[in-house]
Formats: sequence, structure tokens, C-alpha cells
Amino acid sequence: MHSSIDRNTRLFKGVDLLAVLLYAAIVIAGCVSITSASYDDTTGSGFFSLSHFYMKQAVWVSIACTMAIVVLLLDERFYHMLAYPAYAVGLVMLVAALLFGREVNGAKAWFEFGSFRMQPVEFAKIATALALARVMSAYTFSIDRAGDLFKVALVICLPLGIIILQNDTGSGIVLGSFLFVLYREGLNKWLCVPVLLIATLFIISFLLTPMTLLVLSIVVCTLCEAMINHHWRASIIYLASLALASIVCYAALVVFAPGTADFYRTLLVVTILSLIGVAIYAYRVNLNNIYLIIGLFVGMLIFFPTTDYIFNSILKEHQQNRIKSFLGIISDPRGIDYNVNQSKIAIGSGGFTGKGFMEGTQIRYGFVPEHHTDFIFCTVGEEWGFLGTIFVLSLFCLLIFRLMRMGERQEEPFGRIYCYCVASILLFHVLVNVGMTIGLVPVMGIPLPLMSYGGSSLIAFTILIFIAIRLDAATKQFSPNKFRP
Amino acid sequence: MNGMEGFARMRTLQFVVICIFAVLVGRLFYIQLVDDRYEELARSNTLRRVVQYPPRGEVFDRNGEYLVQSRGCYDLMVTYRELDRAGFDTARFCAITGISETKLKRELANARMTPRKPYVVAKYLPKEDKLRFDECNFSGFYTVYRTIREYPRKIGGNVLGYVGEVNENIVKRNPDYRAGDYIGMSGVERSYEQLLKGRKGVKVQEADKHNVIQRSYMNGRFDSLPEPGSYLVSTIDAKLQLLGEELMRGKVGAAVAIDPATGEILMMVSSPTYDPDELLGRERGNNYMRLLRDERHPLFNRAVTSKYPPGSTFKLVQGLIGLQEGVLRPTDRHVCNMGYQAGKLKMACHAHASPLDLRFAVATSCNAYFCYVFRDILENPKYSSVKEGFDMWRRYIESFGFGERLGSDFLDEGTGQVPDRAYYDKRYHGSWNALTVLSLSIGQGEVGCTPLQLANLACIIANRGYYYIPHIVRKIEGCDSLDRRFYERHYTMVDARHFEPIVEGMWRSVHVDGTSKAAYLPDLDVCGKTGTAQNPNGRDHSTFLSFAPKDNPRIAISVYVEHGGFGAATALPIASLLEEYYLTDTIRRPAMLEYVKNMQLPNYAQQH
Repeated sequence: MHSSIDRNTRLFKGVDLLAVLLYAAIVIAGCVSITSASYDDTTGSGFFSLSHFYMKQAVWVSIACTMAIVVLLLDERFYHMLAYPAYAVGLVMLVAALLFGREVNGAKAWFEFGSFRMQPVEFAKIATALALARVMSAYTFSIDRAGDLFKVALVICLPLGIIILQNDTGSGIVLGSFLFVLYREGLNKWLCVPVLLIATLFIISFLLTPMTLLVLSIVVCTLCEAMINHHWRASIIYLASLALASIVCYAALVVFAPGTADFYRTLLVVTILSLIGVAIYAYRVNLNNIYLIIGLFVGMLIFFPTTDYIFNSILKEHQQNRIKSFLGIISDPRGIDYNVNQSKIAIGSGGFTGKGFMEGTQIRYGFVPEHHTDFIFCTVGEEWGFLGTIFVLSLFCLLIFRLMRMGERQEEPFGRIYCYCVASILLFHVLVNVGMTIGLVPVMGIPLPLMSYGGSSLIAFTILIFIAIRLDAATKQFSPNKFRP
Repeated sequence: MNGMEGFARMRTLQFVVICIFAVLVGRLFYIQLVDDRYEELARSNTLRRVVQYPPRGEVFDRNGEYLVQSRGCYDLMVTYRELDRAGFDTARFCAITGISETKLKRELANARMTPRKPYVVAKYLPKEDKLRFDECNFSGFYTVYRTIREYPRKIGGNVLGYVGEVNENIVKRNPDYRAGDYIGMSGVERSYEQLLKGRKGVKVQEADKHNVIQRSYMNGRFDSLPEPGSYLVSTIDAKLQLLGEELMRGKVGAAVAIDPATGEILMMVSSPTYDPDELLGRERGNNYMRLLRDERHPLFNRAVTSKYPPGSTFKLVQGLIGLQEGVLRPTDRHVCNMGYQAGKLKMACHAHASPLDLRFAVATSCNAYFCYVFRDILENPKYSSVKEGFDMWRRYIESFGFGERLGSDFLDEGTGQVPDRAYYDKRYHGSWNALTVLSLSIGQGEVGCTPLQLANLACIIANRGYYYIPHIVRKIEGCDSLDRRFYERHYTMVDARHFEPIVEGMWRSVHVDGTSKAAYLPDLDVCGKTGTAQNPNGRDHSTFLSFAPKDNPRIAISVYVEHGGFGAATALPIASLLEEYYLTDTIRRPAMLEYVKNMQLPNYAQQH
């Protein structure tokens, strides 16, 4: 056992070296890719001129390293203490960006200081992760309690709402990845299903008829309820009676008021009426989670009719088009699909070993848009081939595993939850960013962590990861090798 | 939640992470290793093939003089984005390049549509302009080397043909050509396109998203240099051709001269012709339209395509067939009393001594004599009927190269026309006889020949029974020989010995007592046959068929002048002057030369 004074004198004692190495490897891979993507020998300025993106990125990397040391220097209790103030500052920054920020690519989510632009949402992610960890690590917190779940939902949805108002939906959805954390913390898995369903249906709801959506949500919600409470019989009886009642009502309408009969509406009304019965039942058998399911279901009922509206009115045309092109509804390789198409060409033409450093034609000649920021992965794919992409993905995968493991060996729930938050944010970013470059995910303006060019993103991810490393270092300091699976 | 469940959930989440990465890796595996479509697409994104144009092959005349040259010229290009619009001196630019300001404005407006792409502002900038232009250094503008045809003697427009830009159809049919390439459209240019065009070179370069060339692909490993087209030595004699075109000026018709010993076309004039330089350069489009609309069709090579009634020159063939068939002996005499009469049918003739034998009949061009001959051929008791006799006659005619293509190297060569039995059966509902088709005997009626076929007939008689397929090219660079067909003797069905009386008659026609006396040249033993072909459109066509000298002939010639009147009046002096010039290199009859040059046919001005 070392004393805390000892730790302060020996700064990096207990720091997880593997995580730092993985971090460094990814940052270096990013710098190499940015160099290759942005080196332009026609400008006439020298290789080390600051007009190049890679030189700017080098400056950002040094700033990020400084930030990492600062983060490691601070006491771990400081972050616990800082969680709520940071959250408050994050929210204020988001609102400020919404009110006074600058619009880039349709999203009013940027602050601009001279030539330097920053996106407060990058830092809001850290604040939200800290706040979430703080809320869920409270001694009285129980994930099965509806009130506590509501708190969690509030912590996540407040920044999410503001971000969506900023019209930066892509970044907002990142916060949805905290479902990953909630699951680890014991959220009933059958509650995850309707949530994931909502997320999926949000994207494809306008493809389905309202009738399909309604039946789908009734069945899924009822079955999830059955899985949670093991009320299989009751659920099947409920479904059957619901169907029977709707058919009887529909038949009655056909007989007594021909012309007004509409099975969808009948089913809807019958279902809503039945919810009263379900609620009374839940009250009598004292099953609180039924209220959650009812809440989710009602949420869906309200939500689905509005998705069309959201899709057509709130989403900008380019966002609609991205989703449509992703779903294959429209195909326009020169227009809407251009980005993804060119990105796929760049990655696909890399082959097994790639074209070599600085030899990637698609990147160098500007066919891939945003090739040093959001589409940096194309450079890896084109110049280093399958080997390169595998290498980079393995680095990310290992880092995520390392973060999860760091979370598991924490003594305090605060640290565990935070580490999981970081892992989930990283996972989501990698999935969406890499997925979008290879046409698996609709295009969203989400950077590849630590690799994409951009100071605010790099610094934010550095802080995010190094707080986790700091928390982990503290744990190891006091109880090494506590975690034994 | 206890520790064990937390551990289980961690494992689940690890599994989820693995799954997500597996999906990403799987997709990358497919895109990068399985699907090779992307490599192709990447290549088509970046690679640009810049064509290097080869100079087109030259054409020489038989004495090594240039008929067609390839001259370097430049296309003026602009990349709009690189234009220095503020400092651009329009007036100076126009003065140097010779482009009008309105055209410049129009082209720049077009170039603006594709600001990063090179755009052709003007074609065919001559070298002098290009050098001056280079000194001025207008930013955004540059020149690209092309070659253009040049005709030092300005002769042989129809023979040599012209080149033009390929159209969509050609590009579709032939993948060698791209829009903007030139292709031979007529004459020699068309026939020998494959040899003349050379091989285009290519520079493979990498271009960026804006289509701006960045560098050479793989250090030029796939580049190739343009290969110039092969040169041709034509059979044309430039000086003779020039004289021919001068003599035919002001007349409509054609003149063809062939070396009977080889079948080489020494001269081929189609009149009216055009200055081949007109179909070049910036004014090409306008000139081409003007020539196309011209009612006398100067772009139409009459020498190989048009069908003319051969008139009296056809009598030579009738005589030969008669001799071969045994229905005529050179000493056979027929009576001609101002024509031929059989029942109601009468074929008029001019006044001459009567009765007369074959030699004199050829010399004086007696219509009646050859009516007898023709009837005898058709009504030959050897054959069961007149129609059988007609079939045999037609076979003879075809062996002289009439009624079908000779197979020369002109792709647009016409067939002429010789009616067959079925034609007359249809026309006369099966009932016809020798008298019905009697006008064939003197080359009138349904028979039509191209001037090339008539010149070929002169060759056959000069050679006493065979011909080489007339051709326009003597030697091709890099080839030891021409096509085999040009070296084969094509024999007619008439034996050589039967030609002597006909040749004798043609000689007498010039030297003793015939219609061709004006064609006499001292010591050259010219043989000739005039022809005067009636036609429904007006004045008679004038034609003259000749070769010289009588023994070991060096030139066979046929001249055909539409609406020229008597054969002796128009076609004869032209042919005679050409023979004189070719055989002696001088013209000793300036009066005749003046007469021909000044001869303006009345219907030339107001053509139908």
C-alpha cells in the first residue's frame, strides 16, 4: 500500500500503461493519415509549414498531451465533485451554441474563435458521462426504481434535446449509446428491447404502415412485459382478448354504422382502453415495471405518428436523403450518394495491403470529401489496405475492452459507470464513423475518435479517456489486483 | 444487482462489442478483398487518357511530288478558371489569334460552363500565330498540337478526298475513333484510311476531382508515342492532273487516263471539282455546306460514280463480240443508206461512203453497220432464241467490266448499268426481240457506264483483250506490294486476234478517214473513237475514247463531257491535248488549248 502523498510525488504510478499506449497508437495513426490526406506539395510552403492540416494537428496533439497530464495531476475525488458543475456548464455551453453559435453544415453547434472552431457537444459528452456516473453511483440509487430511471433519463435527455434543437442529430444520438452503460448497471434487458425498437423504427418507420407499427409495438411491449415478470399466460390472454375485442367491435361497427368502420382506429381505441385495465392490474399486483412498459408504449404511440412529421419537417433535406440513400430508396451516385460512394471506392480500392503512404489517389485528388476529418478512415483503407483497417479497428477494439476492464476493477460504482460511459461513447463513434465510410450506417457528421482532424474533438476525447485512466490509477493505487473474475 | 450478474452482463457487452467489430471487419473484408469493382471505379475516377495525335500519312504523285501534306497546326484551348480576367486584353488577343471578338466572347461563355476543363476556343491556329501567341503569355490559354491536311498543288479534290471529324455513328461502329478524331470521308483518304491515319499515342495521367492533371500514371509505363501514318505514292501524274482539271473547267463531266500496261490511273478529273484547301480549317463548315448545296454537285466524283450512256464508243465492243462469235468478219460489208431500216424501225446515220467494211465502220462510226452486227449477235442460230443470244451478249459485256464494279480502290465506285433479260422481260412483258433493244448496239438506251469503265475499255483495246483493275495507289510505305487483285490480268471473252481490225479502225479514224482526225499527233499513232450520246435532258453528251501509241500503248484515256455536243467537238480535243502532254511533255497546239479552255458550254451556267 502506498500513501496518497507517495502517489503525488510519483505522478504516473498506477496509470494503466496499455490504455495510454493504445491511445498514443491511435493518435499517431491519426496523424499519419492526416499527413497523407492533407499533404499538398503544390502550395510551395515547406513540409513543416503550419498551413498544413497535419502540422496544425501536431500542435493539437501537444496541447492534448498537456491536457492529459493535467487530468492525471488532479485528484480523482475532484472529478466526482466536478460532475454536476461540469454538467451545468456543459448545458449552458450547448444553449449558448444554440443561441449565439455558428452554423456549420446546417448544425448550429459551433463556437468560433478566429480560425479555431470548437463544438461544445464534445465537452458536453464528458460532462454528461460524469453526471450520469454521479447520479447512478448515489448510494440510494436503484436502477429498477421508476423514479431513479426517470433521473437517468433526465440526465441523458436534457443535453440530447438541446443537441437535437441544434440540428446536430448525429452527435445527439451518441448520448443514446449510454444504454450500453445502463445495461451493465442492471437495467432489465427486456426494457432495452423496446428502446432499441424505438431507435430502429425511428429510422425505418416511414417505410411501414401505421397498422404494422401498431401491431408490432403491441406485440413487442406485451412480450417484453411477459419476459420481465414471467407472466406468459396473462400476456397471451391479454393479446388474444385484445384481438377478440377489436374484431368484435369492428364487426359491430360494420353492422351498425357501416362506412365508419376502420380496423386500425378500432384496434387503437381498444388498446388504449385496455391500458386502463392493465394499469389497474399493475396497481393490484404491485408490479412497477408494467408502468414503464405502458409509458414506453404510450411514448411509441405518440412518437410514431410524429416520425413522418419529424422526417419531413425537422430533418433537413440532406439528412432525409442520407437516410433514404442508406435504405436504398434512392440511388444517386453523383449526388446524394456521392460521399459514401467515393468513400467506398477509396477504401475498396485499397485491397489487401493498400497503395502505400501518400500514394492514395482517391484521397489525394480530392474525390473523397472531408477526407481529413469525418472520412479519415478512407485514408487508412486506401493507403494501408485491409491490413491497415484491421490494425486501426483492433486498436479501438482493444481500447474499448481495456476501458471496460478498467471499469470492472473499480471499487466505486462512480468509476465503473464512467469507464463504461467512455467505452460506449468510443464504441458508438467507431461504429457510426467507420460504418458510414463503408456504407453500413447513414452518413452522420461524427468524427473518428482521436484520428479525425480537429482540435476540440481530439482534446475532448483525450480528457474523456484520461479521466477514466486517472480514476483507474486511483483504484489500483489503493487496492491492486482487486479484480479477479 | 450482485457481482456475478454484473460479470455476466460484462461478458454480454463484450460479446456485443466483438459482434459490432466483426460486422465492420466483415464489411471491410468484402469491400477490400472480395469486391474488385471498387478498384475499377477508383481507376476511372483518376485516370485520364490524353490522346497524342499522329500526323496523317502524306500522298505523293507518281513522280514523287507532294499531293497531300500534313502540316502542324494548333488548337487554342482555354481553362476558364485559370483565366486572368482583370488583366485580359481582349483586343490584343483577337488581333494576334485572328479570332473575332464576338466569337471569343461566345466561346468564353461556353468555357465558363466547365471552368476547370480545357475547352477548345479555336481550331487550326497556324504556326506563325501560335508563336506570336506564345510570346504574349495569356494566362489560362494554351495550344495543343494537331495536324491538318495541306494540298500544295490544289488538285485532285475528288480523287484524294477530304477528311472530316468523325460523327457519332462512326464512333459507335468503330471503337478506335473518339469524338474529335479525323477520318477520311471520300476518295483516297477514305479508301486508305487505315494506313493513312497512323496510330494514336496516349499519355495516361492522373487527374484530381476537378479534372486537373496531376502527374503521369506509373511514371509513364502505359504511355505510347503516336505513330505517323504511312505515306502513299499515288498513280496520279500531278502535271497531267493539273492540265486535266484546267481543260475540264467550265464543263460538267469526267476524264480518266490509265496506263494500260499496269492499270494505274494517271489522271482522274471530275468536273466541276473544288479546291481541296476549302475543306480545311476554320471555314470548312461553311465551304462544305456551300459545296453540298451546289447544284452541280462538285463533291460527287463523276469519274467513278455517274452512269453515262457510252454512245458510239460502245460500237467497239459490239464489233469485238461479233468477231468472236463468228457472225462478223472484218471484211463483211453492209449497206448504210443514211441509216438502218427494218420495217418501221429506223436508226439514222450520217452521210458517208456505202457499203462499208468493219474498219471503216469503226473509223466513221456508222450506226447502221453495228445494228447489223448487233442483230447478228442476238439472232445467232447457234442459240435457240434471241433471248439466249442476248444472254451470251451480256456475258461478253460483263467480261469487259461493264455492269458491275471493277474493284478499284475507290470505295464509292459505281456499277454502271447493263440491263439483263429479266429487265426486258418485265418491261416488254416477255415479248421482245433484237429490234426492240437495237439501241444498245450504239450504246444508247438502257446501258450506262462510268467514265472509269470507259477508260478501262480503252485499256482493254490497247492491251488487245485484257485489263488490270484500275487503281490509284502505286506504293504504300512499309508494304512490298499492293493488293493482289491489282496484279492480275483480267481477260475478256474476246481473243486477242479479233482486236486488230478494231484497233485498225480506231487508228484510221484518226489518221485516214474517220471522225477523230483532230486527235492526230505526229509519230504517236493515236487510236481513237468518238461518241455522241443522245440524252433526254438536252444537248448530246460528248465522249471520246483513245489510246496511244497504237503499239505498246502508254496511255488510254476516256473523256466524257455532259451536253458537249459531238464527240469530236468537245471531248476529243481535251483527250488529245492530254495525250500530247503526257506523251511529249509539251503542247504544240496552243490554238486548240485556247479553244478548249475558253469553251464554256451554254448549259454550264444554267444547269438543270
